[in-house]
Amino acid sequence: MTDPVPRPAPQADRDSVPFWEGVEAGELRVQQCDACGRLRWPPREICGRCRSTASTWRALSGAGRIDSWIVAHQVFHPAFADSVPYTVLQVAVDEQPDIQMIGLYEGEGEPAFGMAVRAVFVRGSNGAMLVHWTPSPG
Amino acid sequence: MAVMQGFRDRVAIAGIGYTEFSKNSKVSTLTLATRAIAAAVADAGLEMDDVDGLATHRVGDSALPATVVHALGLRDPKWLLDLFGGGSASHSVVGQAALAIAAGVADTVVCYRAINARSEFRMGGTGRPLVDAAETQYQAPYGYMAPPQQFAMMARAHMEKYGTTAEQLGAVAVTQRGHAAMNERAMMRHPITLDDYLASRWIVEPFRLFDCCLETDVAVALVLTSAERARDLQRPSVLIRGIAWGGGFTLYSSDRPDSTRSAAADLAPRLFEQAGVGPRDIDVAELYDCFTYSVLVQLEDYGFCKKGEGGPFFESGATALGGSIPVNTHGGFLSEGYAHGLNHIAEAVSQLRGSAADRQVEGAEIALSTSQPGYIAGNTSALILRRAP
Ligand SMILES: [Zn+2]
Repeated sequence: MTDPVPRPAPQADRDSVPFWEGVEAGELRVQQCDACGRLRWPPREICGRCRSTASTWRALSGAGRIDSWIVAHQVFHPAFADSVPYTVLQVAVDEQPDIQMIGLYEGEGEPAFGMAVRAVFVRGSNGAMLVHWTPSPG
Repeated sequence: MAVMQGFRDRVAIAGIGYTEFSKNSKVSTLTLATRAIAAAVADAGLEMDDVDGLATHRVGDSALPATVVHALGLRDPKWLLDLFGGGSASHSVVGQAALAIAAGVADTVVCYRAINARSEFRMGGTGRPLVDAAETQYQAPYGYMAPPQQFAMMARAHMEKYGTTAEQLGAVAVTQRGHAAMNERAMMRHPITLDDYLASRWIVEPFRLFDCCLETDVAVALVLTSAERARDLQRPSVLIRGIAWGGGFTLYSSDRPDSTRSAAADLAPRLFEQAGVGPRDIDVAELYDCFTYSVLVQLEDYGFCKKGEGGPFFESGATALGGSIPVNTHGGFLSEGYAHGLNHIAEAVSQLRGSAADRQVEGAEIALSTSQPGYIAGNTSALILRRAP
């Protein structure tokens, strides 16, 4: 799709570069705490549960469930002027549902609470690879 | 806790001041600030030179306290606070000013908020630069960047989990408009019906136009001084009975609960314990209403009704003038206008003074006023005020 102006590109910070490199490679990568095993996202140095700073990046399956969703009608950024109405999901990832990601919905019909979805990787008008979500039957 | 109970009733809100609520003030935020401050100082019956502290919260959109001090010609201010933060910080500013007075750092502090949130820096996000926050990278590329979207996401989760309906959201908009009809300051005073609400255009489902607060050019100022000093001033004393802060969760907190619980649920027990009162003792509540839904979740999380029952509770009429707990008697951000939290505190003061004219809650002695309940920013703050005995 052509947008009137490019969509905002992800502005990686010094913590998040490995995450966005993973997205470019078609993977959802999060940190796993080496001490307590807790998954952590967005990226940061310290584990919010055990305060260990040792962690290892691992790829998620990309499976999740819809926690909530909105349908955007009002245009808050000119890049989305031709895209309204569009549906944005808040997705709880299967491996650890308190990790929740915002992303666009690529599917027919209204989303539903608890609906199974999976991550798909889409190159946006900003040139960056982004994470969208599509229904995952069964 | 002993320290905080010792703080009860030691500081008063002695003056309130407003500029006009409008869509285009045609003046700077500095001018709005100095106008509201002058009005508040006059309302208190003080002189400008009595002011020795200033405090505000801002999101990069308003005159700094250090600038306002010099514009007003205040020599040697003893205490200034410039707090970065949105609606969740609004009551924090007043609380911190009260602590400064109680600690003896300053005698008379004016808290103000001055914004051209319609004509210059639109609070709803339209045409505004993206927020400079680490989280923006995970949201803005998907067209998720504005407060109405973020609160709509929370509202949908509540509707799914508890069956909250569009009609219940609409009841908030309709009831508050009815209150605004009795408030000569309010920007939106013509009554609306539930049908009007349901027919208003989508902003972001499940929010319609009338779910969203007004974007407003305005300044509001509050004069704080010691309870002892306030006793000798011209207005009935309104005392700060309790202040509390809360952390809560953002979307990216670890171990966060589901999306239907706000940080107010953590703050409320602390606030009520500190003030020595409970939800049943509150005569009037001015609850942060950036969106209709924010009111419903706070009714639950401050304990006015059970979790999940905010919709039916509001729909019952309990929160209307004449009900058991009148809410947003000025019309709130939805209908009076948006002064980023301070107009809620000013209205609570008017109610406790008994000067709220047609919308007066009869015999109001104790009021709750709250900031944004901490969904997005991960912090919140609230005040309990009482009329001096
Ligand atoms: Zn850990």
